[in-house]
Amino acid sequence: MSKRNEGEGALLGTGGRRWKLIRGNLDMYLLLIPGLIFLLLFKYTPMYGIIIAFQDFNIFGGISGSEWVGTAQFERLWHSDEFLQVLINTLLISLYKITILFPIPIVIALMLNEVRRMFFKRTIQTIIYLPHFLSWVIISGLFLNILSPSGGIVNEIIRSFGGEPISFFTDNGLFRSLVVFTAGWKEIGWNAIVFIAAIAGIEQEQYEAAAIDGAGRIRQMWSISLPGMLPTIVLMFILRIGSLLEAGTEQILTMYNPLVYESGDVIGTFVYRMGLGQQDYSFSTAVGLFNSAVGFLLIVIGNMLSRKFLNRSIW
Amino acid sequence: MYRRTAKDFALDGLIYVVLVMMGLITLLPFVNVFSKSISEEWAILAGQVGIFPVGFQLDTMKFVVTNSQFLNSLWISVLITVIGTLASLLITALTAYPLSKRELPGMGIVIVLFIFTMMFNGGIIPNYLLIRELGLINNLGSLIYPALISVFNLLVIKSYFESLPTSLEESAKLEGANNFTILFRIILPLSGPVLATIGLFYAVQFWNDYFHPMLYINSSSLKPLQLYLQDIVMNADTSSALDKSADDLMNVPAEGVRSATVIASTIPILLVYPFLQKYFIKGVLIGSVKG
Amino acid sequence: MQKAYKLMSVMAMSALLVTTMAACAGNNGKNNEGSGNGTNGGTEATAKPDAEKPGLKRLNVWQNDDYNAYPVAKLLEEKTGYKVQYDMLPQDKWAEKLNLIMSSGEAYDIVTSYSDMALYSDYAQKGALVDLTPLIEEFGPNIKAAIKPESMEALKVNGKLYAIPTTVTYEINSSILIRTDWLDKLGLSMPTTTDELTNVLKQFKEQDPGGNGDRNVPLTIKGDQSMIDNLVGAFGIANTWNDVDGKLVSRVMDPAYKDYVAYVGSLYEQGLIDREFVANKDATAKEKFASGVAGAIVVHWADIPAISDSLTKTKPEAKFAFIPALKGPNGEAGFAANAGFDRLTYVPKASNNPEEAIKWINASLETETFKNMAIGVEGTHYNVVDGAYEPIQPIFTDERNLANNYMAGTDEENYPQYWQARVRKNPVMFEAFSFLNNETAAEAKIKNVLGLAPYMQQYSKTNQQLGTMVGDYTVKLIAGAESIEGLADFQSKFMSSGGEAVSKEINDWYATTK
Repeated sequence: MSKRNEGEGALLGTGGRRWKLIRGNLDMYLLLIPGLIFLLLFKYTPMYGIIIAFQDFNIFGGISGSEWVGTAQFERLWHSDEFLQVLINTLLISLYKITILFPIPIVIALMLNEVRRMFFKRTIQTIIYLPHFLSWVIISGLFLNILSPSGGIVNEIIRSFGGEPISFFTDNGLFRSLVVFTAGWKEIGWNAIVFIAAIAGIEQEQYEAAAIDGAGRIRQMWSISLPGMLPTIVLMFILRIGSLLEAGTEQILTMYNPLVYESGDVIGTFVYRMGLGQQDYSFSTAVGLFNSAVGFLLIVIGNMLSRKFLNRSIW
Repeated sequence: MYRRTAKDFALDGLIYVVLVMMGLITLLPFVNVFSKSISEEWAILAGQVGIFPVGFQLDTMKFVVTNSQFLNSLWISVLITVIGTLASLLITALTAYPLSKRELPGMGIVIVLFIFTMMFNGGIIPNYLLIRELGLINNLGSLIYPALISVFNLLVIKSYFESLPTSLEESAKLEGANNFTILFRIILPLSGPVLATIGLFYAVQFWNDYFHPMLYINSSSLKPLQLYLQDIVMNADTSSALDKSADDLMNVPAEGVRSATVIASTIPILLVYPFLQKYFIKGVLIGSVKG
Repeated sequence: MQKAYKLMSVMAMSALLVTTMAACAGNNGKNNEGSGNGTNGGTEATAKPDAEKPGLKRLNVWQNDDYNAYPVAKLLEEKTGYKVQYDMLPQDKWAEKLNLIMSSGEAYDIVTSYSDMALYSDYAQKGALVDLTPLIEEFGPNIKAAIKPESMEALKVNGKLYAIPTTVTYEINSSILIRTDWLDKLGLSMPTTTDELTNVLKQFKEQDPGGNGDRNVPLTIKGDQSMIDNLVGAFGIANTWNDVDGKLVSRVMDPAYKDYVAYVGSLYEQGLIDREFVANKDATAKEKFASGVAGAIVVHWADIPAISDSLTKTKPEAKFAFIPALKGPNGEAGFAANAGFDRLTYVPKASNNPEEAIKWINASLETETFKNMAIGVEGTHYNVVDGAYEPIQPIFTDERNLANNYMAGTDEENYPQYWQARVRKNPVMFEAFSFLNNETAAEAKIKNVLGLAPYMQQYSKTNQQLGTMVGDYTVKLIAGAESIEGLADFQSKFMSSGGEAVSKEINDWYATTK
């Protein structure tokens, strides 16, 4: 045991001090072993598995027994109309989620900050944080239920105003809106927490000084609260952009059905359907690799921006 | 104290109205589905159930919570959540401790290796193939092992360890304690709140996971609650694309049963919600401030 | 050194802790399975599972009850001597999960899925299934006796049989359900021709017997139901593909199509068909009828219990019945009659015991065992009344309701009769069912010849798309959004979108059947 560690130590450092540090903390390195095994097995082995994107993978032959096809899968991807549609769906849903759902928590935080009755504030917070803890399966179940064309409360209301019932879950024109709305319903309250904390971090004297200068509350919100939150807002925005291609796989998986593949199929669900549902392993791995690569690029760019404007790295 | 102007009152009014609306929109689906779960089936079909139940009855609820499959799935979910959370906490803390000692050679590299996996991953298919190779298909391990360390949680615990004063450790070292003893005797006892927070993060993640059981679990007896639930709630409207035979049509779960199943599955979360709220908010703030 | 030793032991301890916890997790499920099965271990003195007979694993379609705990599982265990462990597919998107399981190499011995010929033939051609022909020859005398040769023939892929079918048990699905109390109120009799139907609907509209005012709807249909059962038969286009002078012709290419559209279009124009039918979902249409707003609706007989429950609660005086096969202007009449398969059962290559699987299926198809599985024991689960099987409730529902999910093939001669006991569970439903299936004259049951056709590639691939295309077009014609003048254009579009290829394929096959 100790022999092996010596070997490792020699690899890691040559300086006497480093060597001593390692020697004195061998048990620290032992502690790291389970984590390292986990990291290699469950994080890096799948990365090696990506090479099947360059094969025509046969599940019975394994990686070594499958034929290499170079970039054929990627060429197929560029020429696939279906993939194009999936990419468009992903971007649309994601952009709707960002443009509509990103600003609302900021507004909510500003509003909650204005509430002076603590009981009311607490109650509202308790209620609007709740959906965050529910699984997508439950939320889809709730919405399938209330939006059902047969006896769902929403359609009953539509009907009582003389409208025609709408089948939200099977309508290609509405499905994306449904996805965005339910995502908002689940996370808006929760996403406000960070902004509430950011406002709480603003010094109270600033508000007092502004009040003495005669600034009204709207004015205070605009010129003190909002600028005070700005670094947090920018940071959150950059993080959000980093996951542009994650339009909500698990959410959509629990909500969609063949009738709305056209509008609701996103990269994550497409990879599942093609790869595991139809055994097109290599092609869907290529799609997955495309997804990971773009995601990686976005995060790296985001971090560069964050360093430039906020002087901090996002991790 | 400043004097409230008419404009202030208008603003307050607006704020209260908007926030109350938010609260109602959040609550109404629960209230409606809850009412359905305790209403008579005919009233649900006739679209008469809104906020209040019509034809109060508890048979549907009883039927749902005494269903052997529901109970089995509930048990599986509890099992995964408890074991998964404890195991994850242990391994995450074990890994975070050495990583919090940046001065030790090699730790920086390991941190980078971990962070890299936050930005780039193998994707669904390679992960599936790995689980298959490991023989974990249709084994509850497939839901636990790959989720043992969340890098985000790891970083949160690591930052917390870094923030602890080093004097305690140093004096323990002088008394001859090894790092192992220090971690378990000194560091972990000081980390109660952060461990509780991260434990809840893990617990909610294990409890709510639908995607992985859907991929990896085949046996009915190993299905977690979320998987069981998805089968029950999938609306007949959306699955009618398949031409079902008459036998299936005769045995579709009733609307009331679906509602009751959703409500029954929500209750465990509601029970622990006070803790969740308290510790989760802390966790989110630690994460965003330290992250 | 001592320190290092201590450390290692602690490390080993914690590693052990994690693995044992995980092992608990793994085992627990298995223990659970055991106990699940154990609970239904009966008191009767019966054949314990044979030591030589291995346990079998079977994958089934979704049901809202535990397969392993349901009484039929126990019955089959007693009768066959095999212990079978059942798993099920999800309800939602089952085909994807089935693909996933088939490719994961999970060793199921028997898999039963909904009948999807494309999927089945794909598995067969990929070599994922065991060729059953020799196994049935050797171990399957009951299978050979129970399943008709033509059923087996239809399932052959490249001359080999890979699946055992469960054939459909009844012929007619749906017709127009009409409020007979409305008829009585207006002194009208049940319509027998399309003209009489028009008149009845007119009276419903003008006289509003339900007192619904503006909301009154004479006949409601759902938006994707442009081919109205019963009415299509009156125009000689009962099935999607009908025999015209010895060749199979799609409805839209049929000369009678124009007449059909003209008739239904005129009903719509006069406001006799739900004005809003285009937007109607299945449930919306049902709700209109169930709440007493609509006088007639097109439904499957199996939907009747739900509708009936709801309707009698809201309108206690309501009565309804199916309209018999209406005669069209040329005297034609009839219903599309089902033929084909409901489920397919096959043995995957990954199975460890293909022989035992076939032996089990064979044992389950033994005449008495099958009868017991299907309807139970006389005097306990059913009585014979006037030659028909009358279920005894509630035990019939409790113990045999889901029996059809356990079947791997049926006694094709007798099962349709046994099966009717299931429909008798609900007298209202049975009356409607029986009216359509038992009282309709044989010549008015127009068989879908394609039901027993073997797998045909073009047909499986595009028929559904073509169906949707024709359906959408027909809706537009009926609702007046398209003019019948454009029919020729649509027909050529239909042919070029795969209609021509399908037509050729199925007619090549059809020619061989004569």
